[in-house]
Amino acid sequence: MPINFDLKDTFDEMLSSAKQSAGESGKEARGVATRFLQNRKERLQLLAELRLAGDLNDEKFKSRLEDEKLILEAELKAMAVISKSSAQNTAQSVINIFQSAVIKALPEVLKSTT
Amino acid sequence: MKPASLPLPSLRLHWLSFFSLLLLFASCKVHLVSNYDAVLSDEINTTAKKVDNFYLSMQEIPAAKRQYVNFSNSYIDIEVDLNSLVTKNRVRPLNTESTRIAEITLQLWEKYKEEHKKDNALSDGLIKLNKKTLSDMFYAMQVAEEGKRVSNKSNP
Repeated sequence: MPINFDLKDTFDEMLSSAKQSAGESGKEARGVATRFLQNRKERLQLLAELRLAGDLNDEKFKSRLEDEKLILEAELKAMAVISKSSAQNTAQSVINIFQSAVIKALPEVLKSTT
Repeated sequence: MKPASLPLPSLRLHWLSFFSLLLLFASCKVHLVSNYDAVLSDEINTTAKKVDNFYLSMQEIPAAKRQYVNFSNSYIDIEVDLNSLVTKNRVRPLNTESTRIAEITLQLWEKYKEEHKKDNALSDGLIKLNKKTLSDMFYAMQVAEEGKRVSNKSNP
């Protein structure tokens, strides 16, 4: 009984799915990174205004700059979730494609056993 | 000299490889991040709104009446919510990033609370800065939670 399984077609489909998934998450990550940068710009502007107006003394100003490091850490963690989530999505799609191609290639009599 | 012809792979071997691959992938689920939690996402939104409300209400009160004692209950109330967010994130597997974001948010909240307590006053400018900083932290928290929704599409 010949196996009707085209590895090249399956790999092409897997590659195409991976590219599409990476493209979509790349767009999302760019949007989020832009928003993070905009937020940072607004905070630093506010920080400078408060320092110049005397609302923040030097000690507090430095302390708020330290906070910026923590905020950056949080933003990087959020970006890491997007990357991991996208990698998980891509890997699972690729596996799903391979799995369904293999099942499709099985003769009818064997499909019911999987 | 003519090389000895190799025997063709038997069909049995073909099927064995085929089934091995099938079994290998059939049980294969990729997990790099925890699953999306809609309830937690709502809680993040609710807490973000509470913090927003807290600072906006404070802005409406004249600066001379912004002594810490007038806000201590609200500080505690919000801190309880932030503690809850940290705990709920901590117990989820593959969730170190969201946990850290929640921890930093709590750390900043406690810091701003202590500043208010020590100075027993809070200027309009500082209210604006605290409100902006915490709002941006909640945004990062939501980005992380919503990011997990993507992975749920292919791996529910």
